[in-house]
Parts: sequence; structure tokens; C-alpha cells
Amino acid sequence: MTQTVLTVDDSRTMRDMLRMALAGAGFNVVEAVDGEHGLEVLSAHRPDVIITDINMPKLDGFGFIEAVRVDDDYRAIPILVLTTESDPAKKQRAREAGATGWIVKPFNPEKLVDAIRRVAA
Amino acid sequence: MDELEAIKVTFFQECEELLADLEGGLLAMQEGSGDLETVNAVFRAVHSIKGGAGAFGLEPLVRFAHVFETLLDAVRSGAVPSTIELAAVLLRASDILADHVSAARGLGDVDMAASAAMATELEHWTDPNASPAPAPVAEATAAETPVEAAPAAAAPADDDAMEEDDLGFVFVPQTITVEAQAADAELAPDNVWTVSIRPKSDLYRKANETALLLRELSRLGPIKATLDDRHLPELDELDPEAAYVTWNVRVETDEDETAIREVFEFVDGDCDLDIIRGEASVEQLAALVGATEPSAAEVQAPSTPELLVAEEPAPAPIEVQPAAEAAPPPPAPVVQAPKAAAPVAPAAPAAAPAKAAQVEVPGPGQSVIRVDPERIDRLIDLVGELVINQAMLAQRVGEYGIAPSSNLAMGLDELEQLTREIQDSVMAIRAQPVKSVFQRMPRLVREVANMTGKQARLVMDGENTEVDKTVIERLAEPITHMLRNAIDHGLESPDERKAAGKNPEGMVRLAALHRSGRIVIEVSDDGKGINRERVFSIAVKKGLIAPDLQLTDEEIDNLIFLPGFSTADKISDVSGRGVGMDVVKRSVQALGGRISITSRPGQGSTFTLSLPLTLAVLDGMVVDVAGETLVVPLAAIVESLRPKPEEIRPLGPVGSVLAVRDSFVPLIDVGLALGYRDQSPPPTDGVVLLVEGEDGSRAALVADAIHGQRQVVIKSLEQNYQQVEGVAAATILGDGRVALILDVDATIGMRRREGSTPRPPEPTLIAAE
Repeated sequence: MTQTVLTVDDSRTMRDMLRMALAGAGFNVVEAVDGEHGLEVLSAHRPDVIITDINMPKLDGFGFIEAVRVDDDYRAIPILVLTTESDPAKKQRAREAGATGWIVKPFNPEKLVDAIRRVAA
Repeated sequence: MDELEAIKVTFFQECEELLADLEGGLLAMQEGSGDLETVNAVFRAVHSIKGGAGAFGLEPLVRFAHVFETLLDAVRSGAVPSTIELAAVLLRASDILADHVSAARGLGDVDMAASAAMATELEHWTDPNASPAPAPVAEATAAETPVEAAPAAAAPADDDAMEEDDLGFVFVPQTITVEAQAADAELAPDNVWTVSIRPKSDLYRKANETALLLRELSRLGPIKATLDDRHLPELDELDPEAAYVTWNVRVETDEDETAIREVFEFVDGDCDLDIIRGEASVEQLAALVGATEPSAAEVQAPSTPELLVAEEPAPAPIEVQPAAEAAPPPPAPVVQAPKAAAPVAPAAPAAAPAKAAQVEVPGPGQSVIRVDPERIDRLIDLVGELVINQAMLAQRVGEYGIAPSSNLAMGLDELEQLTREIQDSVMAIRAQPVKSVFQRMPRLVREVANMTGKQARLVMDGENTEVDKTVIERLAEPITHMLRNAIDHGLESPDERKAAGKNPEGMVRLAALHRSGRIVIEVSDDGKGINRERVFSIAVKKGLIAPDLQLTDEEIDNLIFLPGFSTADKISDVSGRGVGMDVVKRSVQALGGRISITSRPGQGSTFTLSLPLTLAVLDGMVVDVAGETLVVPLAAIVESLRPKPEEIRPLGPVGSVLAVRDSFVPLIDVGLALGYRDQSPPPTDGVVLLVEGEDGSRAALVADAIHGQRQVVIKSLEQNYQQVEGVAAATILGDGRVALILDVDATIGMRRREGSTPRPPEPTLIAAE
């Protein structure tokens, strides 16, 4: 059963990198460009795992995670926060919003897949 | 192309966009119109550049972006106030960031000293109290390294585990009995750990799951998990969102404690965790976990061995069930799920780059398709051939004397119209807004202004004007020159401006617009205008014109385009780079373009550059000259007429002029100008094309006959042969013959400069394929 991963990032480069790494590991990938768009794609594709950036226009990562977590249909979906933030406060804020885990950019494909495995059933 | 390389290309494209956003945002901040979202967007731009650069290991770019980002973050949070002064610094920093991007791309170098100085300046803005660090850049790296190193350490040091990824509960084969465990306990090997996990409800709220933690632990070595459900309340008291159970796990691993702790990295703080080396008795564990309400009776209550979960597939202990329901992601299925999942789950990550992954995703880019430009170029070439072919067909049909009202002729007309529409549509695919060129200019203006001590503000109009990609690529150079020239020679110094009662800050305007099928680029300034006296005297001094030549103001202005002319008294850094306006003019003409200047003393000058919308096709008038077929660009033709003898007046030994309404224009025999013949036939035998050059000068070109208008596909003469004066390009006509396309400006210029006898240029033009 192929698992579907939703990536939410405003950077095309980052989305492409994620797609390459995830597709290479056999995941089905769906993408969104910001939090708002992420919520739309979420309902259309019901991903098994979500990977999201923090700094995004419209709805940022924190807001996106919170929105996912208050929805009974989606709140059990693991969410990995993808960020270059070296700021522990930001990571903490993402966790408080409901992030399951995190990946620090730049990532390599193994680490990424590793992190997904750690949170995805 | 390698996939990663392709993403790198995307990255640099994205960088261009982000740099433009960055600059736009910073300019808005400088003008005081930026709100919080502007600052956020500016931050995100730098942040995204840094993120991508990190992914590709572009170290210098990452380091500079990091320092930049840090300051922007401080601005975003309000720690550093956003001022006009700051925006100016940030703009300069964005220029250096752009340099870093270019350097990373392999285009150009970064002035590392300037970059380091800017990094220091940015750091100082971020924290004015920080002592000017000797190596600010290095410091930034150091600050970042630990963070990025962390996940590296976090990655399980399990090189082979990755391979034989069992996904968890494949501790099936390890059937240790309770008795065996007891035996182990006696031996107490030092690779045995006891891990006690007591999840809090927060752990589940974040969609973490105990089962997965156990699965991760099992990757370190064989595990035996025991559920302690003493704190599980009765069903009617049970809060399904709360967490009640504790897992005690015996792990046998050669990894150290750090590796075990890393399993719990994501749930740090969301569960009570105890890691003890060696076996721990039930009492010890109880003491550890149940510190709050330990009761001997309770400790005994659940018979631990029964709850040994991992060993037997069958005994899904009923006791576990309530706990399962207790927490949102049920722990009980946990016990079994991995078993069931085992055969399936490994398939997922292990699966080869499955094509399934390429399923197109409905994304933001949905309305945009990315196409290899080569495919479009090929399509445009093919449509070009179609145009030629259609013209050829029309010509053949015409030769058979078919009535224009016949079905065949009407069908052909429709074909022609369709061909044109296809051509326009195809060209529209390749059309791009001039924005991509314009957006590089604010930086240029800043730099040139800095270098020349002028104050300049750039105003841009019509950035969304679309033009064919082939033209866009050629726009940057002439615009750059015109802007440099406008600031360096056009604008006065701030003091001079003040003295003249002007705003010390000069205005330079860059505009693009469509005008009669061409794109027009205007560069104007509100500077001092052209000093005509000086221009004239320089031209005389350099022997470019005769001292007694009578010239109109406009003609004097346009002297600056003469080869060898340079108005700067001293060669400045900016304009004196060995490229004069004459070179600009020539390169523009090579594109079928025209450039001219108008100037008003004290009020400024305007350069006007006009280019065809595409370099692929041209509307032209097909004429016969001395047995050769030539194409005259329609855009240059004002009218065509048959001259009457009384309208022609001789001027000088061989020249003559034509009276057109109330003015005289020089008569130029094209055959003579191009060297097809030595003797002009009487102009009254031929047809005159009244043409207008880019500078507004008119001339009457004499041809033998006119064949009519036609759209022709331009084939570069330079690429296929060499540049020929008086000839802009070549084309292939309907009958398959090569025809040259006349360069009207050059033809007028040849006559003007040489006055009487045009020197015949290359006589062997027809060699051009």
C-alpha cells in the first residue's frame, strides 16, 4: 500500500526536493504551496503523513498545523515540520501547535524517510 | 538531465523570482509603504534562498543569507525598527545576495571583501552591541552548525538497519519465554536496557504513537514490551483523550543510551521516560513510574508476564484493550498491527522509485505547464516554414491565373489567415513580459548612482509589456547602456541640481510599450540634456563631421551614436568601459531595431529604442532591384510612389533629391547603394519607397519594381554568413529563392556619411544560404 505524503512549502525548489526524495522512496506525493492550499489538498487526498514548512504566505506552518489538529478527521495524521530554523523556540511553537516531529533543512533523503518512518504507521 | 540538476535549475529560477520579490519589498519599505506582510515576504524570500542553497550545499550563499535572514527576522519581530536607512542597507545587502546567487550559479564572482563587510554591517544592525566580530561570517556558520549537525547525530547509526528495514515488530522470531527472561536477568548482560515509557495525552494529541516508539526501539535490538495498566480506570471513568498506561520495555542492544534517547526525540516532554541499564524488576519499575501512588498490592495486581505482548501473536490481552481506546491512536492494535503490517509496510519505503510517485499533483502550478524551450523554438521554426510554404503555394496559384473569387483562391486566403493566427499564437507562447530584464535595473541604477556621486530614482513603466523571448534576451545590454548613460551623462550632481532649482535626486524613467507592432523602450532622465555645442565641437574635433556642416538640433543629438564619439571629458568608471553609444546602436540595428535620442536643454533627454516584437518574422515589402529581389521592412516605409520628373532635383555631382510635398528628401538608388550596379537608371523608371529612419530622417529609396507586401521569416545573415552593411538579414521567398532584407537605417546612413559615392560593399551577397 503506497503511503501518500502531503508536502506544504512555498518554495518550489523545496517541494521538488521533497518530491524527489519521497518519490524515490516509493511514496505518493501531493503538494501545496501554503497553509491555506494545504488544507484544501488535505481534504482532497487524505495523506498518511504531512510535511510542512513554517514560513509561508497566507497561512503559515503554525496556523496550518493548528487547523489540522482541530479537525476530527485529520488530527491523527502525523505532521513533520520542515524548517531551517535554528531557533528552538520555533520548534517548540510548532510542537505546541501539534507537530509530531521535525526535519531540519537541509535534509538528505535517508533522514527524511527515516523521520517519516518514525511517525507513520 | 539528472533530476537533482533539474531541481537546481528550478532553484535558480526561483532565486531570480525571490530576489525580485526581495528587492520589490525592500523598495516598498524604503518608500515607507511596506507593512508587516511586506517585511514577512522579504524575510521569506531570503529564508527560501537560504533553504534551497543549503540543500545544494552552496556554502557562501547560505552563510550570507543566514546573516541577512537573522537581521530580517529581528525586523520582523520588531526588535530592529524598520527605517528608510535600514531599507537602504538591506537593498545593498540584497545586491550582494544576488551576487552570491550568481556566483553559485557559476556566473560571475562575489566581492568577498564587500560581502564580509556587509555581513558585519548586517550583524551590527541586528545587535548594535555586538563587538565587530573579526570573522563574522565564520561565526554565523558556527552558530548554525550545531543545529544542522544535530539531526545527523539523530539519524540512527544503523547503516544496515536501513537495508534490512524490518519495519518494526519483526521481533517475532525472537521467542523468549518469561523463564528465559529470568535467566537473562541473572546474567544481566551489559547490552540490556530497561526503558520505561509513560505517555502523556499530549503525545497522542500530536499524533505520536507509542506503538511506533516501540517499533523504533525494536530497530535497536530485540525488545520485550510489558504493559502496565494499573492506572487504567474503569470504563465509565475513562477519558478517551487521556493517557493511563505505562510501557516497560526491555531492549537488548549494542547501541548506547543516546541512541535509545533519540528514539524519543519527537516525544521529548510528552512522556515520562526512564532509561536504566540492565534489567529492572517490576518493583523497580513501579517505583520509577508510579512514584506518585505506588501500592504493593497494585504492583502485584497485573500479572506482568501475561502482558508480554511481543512474543505471541495470539494473546492480544484483553486488559490492553481499554488502554487502547484510552488514547486516540490506540495502543492495543499497536501490539498486533505491526505484525500484520510487517509484510506490507516494508514494501513502501523499499519500493523502487515507483512510477506511481509521478502521479501529477493538482497544485498551484496547475494552470502553468513547463515546457522545454527547445520544443517551442522547434515549433516556431516549423511555423516559419509553414508561412514560407503557404506563401509559395499562393505564388504558384497566382501564376496559374486563378480568379481571386474562385474557391481555390478563397481557400488559400483562409489558409493564409489561419497560418497567421497560428503564427501569432505560437509566438505568444514564447512571449514574456520585459519584467525579467527590468527587474535587474534598480540595482544598476543604485550602483551607477553610487559610483558617480549622483542621486537617482528609477521609475519603471510597462514592465508587463510582452515581447518574444528572443528579443528579451537582447534587451538587457542596450537598456543597461542607456541607463548608465542617462545617469552618468544625463543627470547632474546633486549640487548642480540644487543650483538649477531641481530636486537633488534625479529621476530616470524606464518604460516599455507596444507601438505599431514593435516594442519601444524609452529611457529618459530629467537631467541637463545634451550640450549640443559641445557635442558638435567634439564631433568636429574628432573629424567625424565637417566644421561647416549645418545640422538640426536633432541631428546634433544623434551625433553621439557616431562611431568613435564619446562625450565624457574624462573616461568615467561607468560609461567609459570602451562601449560607446555607437556600439549600442549597431547591436540594436542588428536586431532590426532603431535607437534615437531627443533632448531638451535643462530638462533632460530621452532615448527611444524600438525593436520588432519578434526576431522570427517580419512584415516586408518585396521589391526588385537590378534583377535581385529585396525585402524592405514595412515598418520603415512611409509610402511608395512613382516620382515625376519635375519632382527630382539634382544635388551635387551625382546626388539628387526628391520633392515630397513641401520638403526635399535625398534619393538613394538601392542598387547603387548595395553595389549591384554602378549607374543609376533614371528614378522615374522605377518606384520610390519613402522611408523613415529611427532618428526621423527620411529618404527616398529607388527600386525597379514592387511585388507587394509579404510576411517573411527572418534568417540571420550573421549566423549563416557574415554581417553585411546595408543588409539586416535574409529570408527565403515563396519560390525558394534567398532574398536579402534591407537595413533601411544603414542605407540612409551610408548615403549621409559618404555624401556622394557609396562604396560598394560585398558584391557576393548571394552566397548567403
